[in-house]
Amino acid sequence: MRALWHDSWGSGRGPAVRLAPEARIAAGAALFAASLAAPAGTGRGIALIAFVATAWTAACGMPLRAVKSFALLGAAMFLPYFLLVPLLTGAGTPGPSGQGGFLSALAAPWDVVLHGFAGLFLTAATVTSLSASDFRRGVLALPLPRLVTGVVIQIVHQTAVLFAETGSVAAAIAVRSGSGRAGTVLRVLASVPRVWLPRIIHRADRVSAAMELRGYAETDLRVMGPTKPRAADAAAIGAAVGLLALAAAIRWDWIR
Amino acid sequence: MSVAAVLAFDRVTVRYEPGSRPVLEGVSFTLDRGERAALVGLNGSGKTTLLMAAVGLAGHEGLILVDGIPVRRRTAGQLRQKTGFLFNVPEDQILFPIAREDAAFGLLRRGVERTEAYRRAESMLAELGVGEVAGQPALHLSHGQKQRVALAGALVTGPPLLLLDEPSAGLDPPGRLSLARLLGRLDAAMLVATHDLDFAARFCRRFIVLAEGRISYDGPDASVVSQAWGTEA
Repeated sequence: MRALWHDSWGSGRGPAVRLAPEARIAAGAALFAASLAAPAGTGRGIALIAFVATAWTAACGMPLRAVKSFALLGAAMFLPYFLLVPLLTGAGTPGPSGQGGFLSALAAPWDVVLHGFAGLFLTAATVTSLSASDFRRGVLALPLPRLVTGVVIQIVHQTAVLFAETGSVAAAIAVRSGSGRAGTVLRVLASVPRVWLPRIIHRADRVSAAMELRGYAETDLRVMGPTKPRAADAAAIGAAVGLLALAAAIRWDWIR
Repeated sequence: MSVAAVLAFDRVTVRYEPGSRPVLEGVSFTLDRGERAALVGLNGSGKTTLLMAAVGLAGHEGLILVDGIPVRRRTAGQLRQKTGFLFNVPEDQILFPIAREDAAFGLLRRGVERTEAYRRAESMLAELGVGEVAGQPALHLSHGQKQRVALAGALVTGPPLLLLDEPSAGLDPPGRLSLARLLGRLDAAMLVATHDLDFAARFCRRFIVLAEGRISYDGPDASVVSQAWGTEA
C-alpha cells in the first residue's frame, strides 16, 4: 500500500502529463467532483461516472501494474459493502416477487462502490500524472491562499518523509524482534504510541524550527515556479468543468 | 566584546523549563568575522542547544549578538539573512522535493530570478560534490547526499556566519575530507558542533569545549580535548 502510493507519483505517461501541473490538478479535482455528483442509480449517471474515470485514467497513462493494484485496493475497500445487502433486504419493502426489496437494498452499496472506485481511480490517475515537483508547482499556481498552499505542500512532502520514517521503524522492529511480516506489522502497530509517535513529534518540532529558520512561512512560494497558462490547459479544465456541469444536470434531473 | 565579532555570547544561560537545571550556564565567547571554531563536547553537553540559541530557537537569559543584532524573536528575519544553519539530521531542513529547488530556496526568497537561482544552486551542489543529484527527489538520496543538499541550501546565500551541527555525521572518509576542504575555503565565520576532532582540526584553529553546559576550554589545542576525553592516540 505504502509502495503503491509512493511509486505512483509521476509514473503516468499519458497525454495529460503534457498539461501544466495546475491544469492536471484542477481537471482531476473537477472530474472527481463530477464523479461524485453523477447519480449511480441512473443509466446516464453510471455511463458518465464510468466514462470520466476511464478516460482520465487513460489520459494520465496510469501504468497497468498500478491499475491492477488500485483495482485490488478498491475491491478490498468497497466490495465488502455488498455484504450489507442481506441486512438491507430485510429492512426494505419487497415487491410481489421479493425482487424489489433486493434491488432497493442493492442501491446503497452500489452507490458507495461505484463512487468509491471512480474516486479512487481519479485520485490515483491524477497522482500518477504528477511528480512531487509537479505537484508543488501546480499547487503554487492555483489561486489558493498562501497559507493553504504552504500547508498542503508541506503535508505532502512531510508525509513522504513520515512514510520513510515508518519504514525505518518497521525495519528496526523486524531486525530486533526477528519476527515475520505479520508479526512485524503487529509490533509496528503496538509501537505507535511509544516509538513512532515520539519520533514523529520530535521530527515535527525540528521541521518547524527549520521552516522558521529558512523563512518558509513568510515567503510567497509562487517565486518557486510561476507558469504561463496555455490553450491546452484551458481546454482540459473547460472540458472537466463541462463534465461536472453535465453530472450536476443529470443529478438535478434524477432528483426531480 | 570585539567589534569584529560576528557572533557574541555574553553570560548566556538556557533552560528548557523555568527553574530547571540549565542546559547552558553563563556561556561567554565571541567569534570574529571569518573565524572558524569547533564546538566540541560529549553527548548532552549543550552543543546543539547553543547553536539553537544563536538563532533564537532556544529561549535564553543573557545577551547574544549576531553581527551586532541582538537575538530576539522580533529580529528573526534579520538573523536569517546573517546565518546559515545545518541541522544534524538533514531531512529536518529539506523542505522541497527536488534537491535543486531546496538548495535554491534561500535565493528565491531574496528575489533572485528563478533561472539564476537554480544555476547558482546547481553550482553550489556541484562544488559540494553532488551536482549530479540536482534534479533528483531529495528523499531518495543517501544520507551523505542529503547532508550536502542541506548544506548547499545553507551556503548558497553566502551568509557571514555558518552554524553547523555535526556536518560530518554519516559521511564516508572521502566525503569528510572534501567537506573539510570546502569549509576551509569559505570566508564565512563558522561554529561547528562536532565530536569529530580530526575533521574539525582540518579547518578550525580554535576549539571551544562544552562540559555540562559550561565552557571548560577555549583555545587552539585540540589535544586538550582528546586528553579530557581519554581518547588520545
